[in-house]
Parts: sequence; structure tokens; C-alpha cells
Amino acid sequence: MNYIGYFLISIGTIFLFLGGLGILRMPDFYTRLQAGTKASTLGAMSSILGIGFLQPEWFIKTFIIVVFIAIANPLSSHALARGSHKAKQMPFLKDEKIGDAYEAVEEKLHKNQKKEDKK
Amino acid sequence: MKKVVVIGSLGVIVYYLLSAFVAIPFGADIIKGVKEFYLQKSPDDLKVANVVTSIVVNFRGFDTLGEVTVLFLASTALGSILYHRRSQHSGLNPQRTSVEASAIVQTGAKIIFPFTVILGAYIFIHGHLTPGGGFQGGAIIATGFLLMLISYRKFFIKHNALTWIEAIAGSTFVILGLFGLIYAKNHDFLENFLPAGKLNDLLSGGIIGIIYIAVGFKVGAEITGILDTLLTVKETGLDPEEN
Repeated sequence: MNYIGYFLISIGTIFLFLGGLGILRMPDFYTRLQAGTKASTLGAMSSILGIGFLQPEWFIKTFIIVVFIAIANPLSSHALARGSHKAKQMPFLKDEKIGDAYEAVEEKLHKNQKKEDKK
Repeated sequence: MKKVVVIGSLGVIVYYLLSAFVAIPFGADIIKGVKEFYLQKSPDDLKVANVVTSIVVNFRGFDTLGEVTVLFLASTALGSILYHRRSQHSGLNPQRTSVEASAIVQTGAKIIFPFTVILGAYIFIHGHLTPGGGFQGGAIIATGFLLMLISYRKFFIKHNALTWIEAIAGSTFVILGLFGLIYAKNHDFLENFLPAGKLNDLLSGGIIGIIYIAVGFKVGAEITGILDTLLTVKETGLDPEEN
């Protein structure tokens, strides 16, 4: 049991470190958000779950926290990414030909929304 | 040159601040005077595990009543400033100033919202046992409502209900204080008149628990009202997307 806990905590710390490094090194907002969210979601989840394995009486509490992180963290990063896209924040592009793929999807959604509003 | 002056003066200030802290011996027994009184009296006589709560609500309850009043005045002032008068376009519904959130955020907000409210309620119900209390719990509840307000454009809060909650909670606080004048031992305002109970029980600490539940409802309703006023354009006929 202890070894599982230590293993999970070490995985978590590695991923948290990589997430911090990614925030420092990535070129623009979206890739930074990607690094920060993905790495820190796994990092926080596995290190908290590892503490749950080390202290079995806390396991249920830590499991609830992990579920909360699994719901809330992707959600907030999605909201941030969408907000920054709405604020015309352009992604870092090496190849200018790659268009804004989200734009088309968003327009389609917006049209559907307006139709629903009219109904 | 400017930077050097700023850094030099900051250094002097920090040096004197730190030297003031050095004068206190580390780990010394400095629990004396009023500190000792509070630390001994709140677990022993009042049976309150959280000393901060016992100071805030019991020893300095009148001060807390003032704080609640200040918050009430602030929310009233903000509401009176931000409330747009009903114009001639009064047929329109109230408008939210933000744009519609995506379906992912809406679903997530629906899942998280009840748990946020439960957490806030837990914090103010256990105000006399664990860190936190009415103000913190109320703020957490208002956060949950903020989540719903920014994710749903059609989520509106009835201000009448908020007014009633505020009124009942605020008058509970004052009425408990007045009961202290009649039933308590020394006949003081806001003095504890209920049985103190056992240390670390949920029903301990006399009136502290009840007062913190009232404060939690009041703060939650007030901050929710402030957020709703900030985010909603009241029937002015201005469409935020057209401007």
C-alpha cells in the first residue's frame, strides 16, 4: 500500500514539474494552457490519490477531491480557451495556411443558437 | 537613479521591520494577558473548539453585528448605483451582460453548483468547530451562484427572496442579542444564554452556531444580490450584444 502511494506521488510530482516547465517554455496562450491543465490535472490527481493510499482513513476524502479535480479542471481550462478565442487571441502558427478551425464550428453553433432563440 | 533610491529605502524599511521581529525570542511563551484569557475561556467555559469564532461572535459579537451592517450598506449602495431605472422599454426582460457559455461549461456548472452550496452550508454550520464561519460559507455559496449566473443567461434570481432571507437572518442576529439582555446571566447584549454543551459537539457553543448560520445566509444572499446586480442590465432596453 505504501509503495503504491509513493509511486503515485512521485508520478504526480514529475507531471506537476513538467506542467510548470511547459507554462514557462511554451510560446503562446493555448499551448501554455494545454501544458498547465493537462499536466497539472494528472499531477494533482495522482499525488492526492497517493496521499490517500498512504493514509487509508483519508482515502474517501481524497477520492472525492480527485473526482472534483477531474470535473473542474478541464472545465475551467475549456472556459479560458474559449474566452481567449472570443477575445481574438491568435494562436502561435508556424504555418500560416493552417486556418482557425474553431471559427467555423463556432459560427455553425451560433447559427443554430439563433434559430433556437427565434423559436 | 530612481530605482536605486527605491531599493535603498525598501532595504532600510525591511531591515528595521525584521529587526523588530528579531527582538521577539523564537518559540517563547508569549501567551499572556488577553490572549491567555481568550485561549482558556473559549474551550473551558463556552465549549467552543474554534477560538477565532468565539472571539468574533461571542466576545466581540457587537463588532460582528457592525460588520454585517457594513456589508448590508455596501450591497445596498452598490444596488442603488447600478440599478438602471425602468425606461420606456419596460416590456423587455432583464438582460445578462455576459455572452452565453458553451454547453460544456453549462453542464459542469449544473454538476458543481449543488456541491458548492453544500460546502458553503457545511462551513457555516461547523463555524464553531472548524476554521471558517458565516462570512466564508456565505462567500462560497455566492461563488456557486456566480457560476450559475455566468454560465446561464436565463438564470435569474428573485430579489424578493433575497430580501426576505437577508431580513430574517439579520433580525435573527439582533433578536438573539436582545434575548441575551433578558435571559443571560449578566444581562448583556449578545451574551450566551443557551446551554454550552460539550466541546467538539455540533450542538455546542450556545448561540454561536445559530448566529453563524444566520450570518452565512445573510452574507450569501447579499453577495449573490451584488453579483446579480453587476451582471444583469435591468430592463433598460439596451441589448449588450448590439453595443
